[in-house]
Amino acid sequence: MSGRRLLTLHGVLVLLFLYLPIAVIVVLSFNASKYGVQWHGFTLKWYAALLGHARIHGYVTNSLIIATSSTLIATVLGTLLALGIHRYRFFGRGGLLFLLYVPVVIPDIVMGVSLLLFFAWAQNYLRALHLGLGTVIVAHVTFQIAYVTLVVKSRLAGLDPSLEEAAADLGATSWRRFWKVTFPLVWPGIAAAALLAFTLSLDDFVITFFTAGPGSTTLPIYIYSSVKRGVTPEVHAVSTLMILVTTMALLGVQRASNRR
Amino acid sequence: MNRPSWRRLLATVAPGAFWLVVFSLLPTLLILYASFLQRGPHGWLSGPLTLVNYARFFGISSSGFDPLYLNILGRSFLLGIVTTVAVVLLGYPFAFFIARSRHKNLLLLLVVLPFWTNFLIRVYAWIVIFQRRGVLNALLTYLHLPTLHLYPSWTAVYVGTIYTYLPFLILPLYASVEKVDWTLLEAAYDLGAGRVRGFWHAIFPQTLPGLVAGVLLVFIPALGTFVISDLLGAGKAILIGNVIQQQFGGSRDWAFGSAAAFVLMALVLLGLWLYARRAGESGMGELL
Amino acid sequence: MKKTLLALLLLLTPVLARGELRIFNWSDYVPEEVLQEFSKRYDVRIIYDTFESPEAMMAKLQGGAVRDYDIIVPPDYYVAELARSGLITKLDHGRLPNLKNLYPEFQDPAYDPHDAYSVPYQWGTTGIAYRKSDVPGGVDSWAVFFDPKAYVGPFLLLDEMRETIGAALKYLGYSLNDTNPDHLEEAKQLLISAKKRGMGFADSVGARSRLLAGDAVVVHNYSGDIFAIKDEDPSITYVIPKEGGTIWVDALAIPAQAPDLENAYAFINFLLEPKVAAAVSNYNRYASPVKAAEPYLDRDLLFNPAVYPTPEVRAKLEFIHDLGPATQLYDRIWTEVKAR
Repeated sequence: MSGRRLLTLHGVLVLLFLYLPIAVIVVLSFNASKYGVQWHGFTLKWYAALLGHARIHGYVTNSLIIATSSTLIATVLGTLLALGIHRYRFFGRGGLLFLLYVPVVIPDIVMGVSLLLFFAWAQNYLRALHLGLGTVIVAHVTFQIAYVTLVVKSRLAGLDPSLEEAAADLGATSWRRFWKVTFPLVWPGIAAAALLAFTLSLDDFVITFFTAGPGSTTLPIYIYSSVKRGVTPEVHAVSTLMILVTTMALLGVQRASNRR
Repeated sequence: MNRPSWRRLLATVAPGAFWLVVFSLLPTLLILYASFLQRGPHGWLSGPLTLVNYARFFGISSSGFDPLYLNILGRSFLLGIVTTVAVVLLGYPFAFFIARSRHKNLLLLLVVLPFWTNFLIRVYAWIVIFQRRGVLNALLTYLHLPTLHLYPSWTAVYVGTIYTYLPFLILPLYASVEKVDWTLLEAAYDLGAGRVRGFWHAIFPQTLPGLVAGVLLVFIPALGTFVISDLLGAGKAILIGNVIQQQFGGSRDWAFGSAAAFVLMALVLLGLWLYARRAGESGMGELL
Repeated sequence: MKKTLLALLLLLTPVLARGELRIFNWSDYVPEEVLQEFSKRYDVRIIYDTFESPEAMMAKLQGGAVRDYDIIVPPDYYVAELARSGLITKLDHGRLPNLKNLYPEFQDPAYDPHDAYSVPYQWGTTGIAYRKSDVPGGVDSWAVFFDPKAYVGPFLLLDEMRETIGAALKYLGYSLNDTNPDHLEEAKQLLISAKKRGMGFADSVGARSRLLAGDAVVVHNYSGDIFAIKDEDPSITYVIPKEGGTIWVDALAIPAQAPDLENAYAFINFLLEPKVAAAVSNYNRYASPVKAAEPYLDRDLLFNPAVYPTPEVRAKLEFIHDLGPATQLYDRIWTEVKAR
């Protein structure tokens, strides 16, 4: 077998590994059994229940608002941070690098509780940062920045600096230089980082729980609570719908870009 | 590497640095402070400052040395290492598969898409796969193979952990692989290198920044895992993450939980620092 | 930049609408019709936020959420502590005329004398569930987990520190709030050997799924959780062991700085109405503390001794108390059991 074929085979196997649990979730979402994992026949009643469950719509909206805005903020801040750290030497650079790892290494629950204490303190003394969607976004950005910076920085590392220098020699302003030379080169790194950040935000439960206020319950918070109470078929249905909707959107984008 | 003008430094580093200092460093200091307090009579924190939490963690007491928590810590490191190795074996070729495919963006999204469903639900799905009358055994029976009892087991915990952290390696690694200069490989061939040697000397070093970033993003969070070990190990497999979780949960001893979390953090940061010093000369320390 | 700042500021500003009831509770613990009925009758918008463990709820309250919610639903063993720490309001019984609808024992429960700070919402027990088809002889004692001679097949214990250590203590004939280190040591040894013999530990829902899937034939579990799956598999049976088990209550309480006291009282009083209380229990499949709800309860719920135990069985049930600093003893044992 050629190397190329072997690589493809490996790729397909990894994709199967990634999608095996998803297939299970999709199948279970059509299972008539409310609590069990045994097959009790096909049903669409969980999807019907979902349609009438107005609260879930609110939770999904919250999740999407939080994931989108936090990813935007974190990607901008993280990319800038990566650029600065990559390019410049300055006082406190080493300390900053270690600070970046704090949100990665600190267990979720500890970060959640520490942010809760911090926000409580800020509320008492500064009358700011009342728990709500805003505090959840702040918390998400905090752990996302680290991931974004690290991914973008790994892309910057080993990037040919002569390109930027050449542009500088040609008299490009630093902004133009960044936009026309650096950005296109770093773009795949930024995209991968943003994807990672978005995924982390959509999936986070613990930190979100501790930093959420009244009315800012997200889908993961609802799902954790539901699963603990044993109400899972609707949750399977929500998961399936999310996969379905995103896949369709992706295929649409893919087709549109192929046509171009 | 330049000596920057203040304006540029302010424009790039300052906003992120400010954010991290306010929302990461300050809250972390609060927790550091908590680790020197004690559980109050109502489960809340109370003074005076003490070292008992750390003594308890390291098993130092009047009745002698007891490595209960240290053993658990060791087990977590083992899980982290094995997971990381497995994730690299799965993810490294896969990053090349994506980079060399015509549908890069689609594949990239396919990698993260499963992770847009809920984490807990995905872990539950693995139970359905591994349980006695589950998906895997149905398949094995169909193939006339002997069935396996994988739930609950450490194997299940490992599979679940590897599954969960795979994209954390693939994404940064892909960002590096995507910009690999393949002409170097041809040059290596021209110089008479075999396929393996050629890859090792011409391609592998180029992917190293992404690999290191990915390994860190897998290894470090894997150390703190607890949900996977709870669910797929049926609570028989206790890790340091479970200990910390239990303190903030059922035991409600935030002080001891904070101390345990701090030991974990300190060990990781110390490891990073040692790595950065050793790797400094090769330029890889730049990642840290 | 200015616009983003403005948007951020807007997000950080709390929404203070009139006529809003903010509930912090387990998910799906109040039927949607009941919420809608209240919403209509009192013209309030309901915000329903969920938690997945009582400890997480406690942490949030202590961290400042005490001014965010009008209604919280803590378990019995946290009521006293919440009251002592000043996190919940002393109830004005004049505003809760429907308290008279409660069974006498729930008008003066041990964990909160005279319902001074809380009102019972639902109650249940912790015991043993098993598959009758696999255990024809039945199960009536904690021995099924702790005595190798009584082993009947693969089993799971609850992954809840107090419940599980409590079960071992009960088997040994001690109180489940025992803090005698020697008694706890005995319980630890029992649990370590039980862990080796059995499948391990799981949360109530996880254990229940294992029972349904047939991986386990006996599990340690909550009454309501098991009763809810009767329809899925009629062979699954719940018993309260002869040594006794845990009784628990989920209570309604009002945080100390609740924004809308008026509606909080109205909601608690509403949940004590006979028909409403019955609707809640018929939905959750847990027992109701509201005596006046009896005529409206599903018959199979009311006359099921696993849901409404006989007085003799009731006498052997114990509430879990918060043990304060002695919790460390339990924690130590729990970690050792898990690690060995």
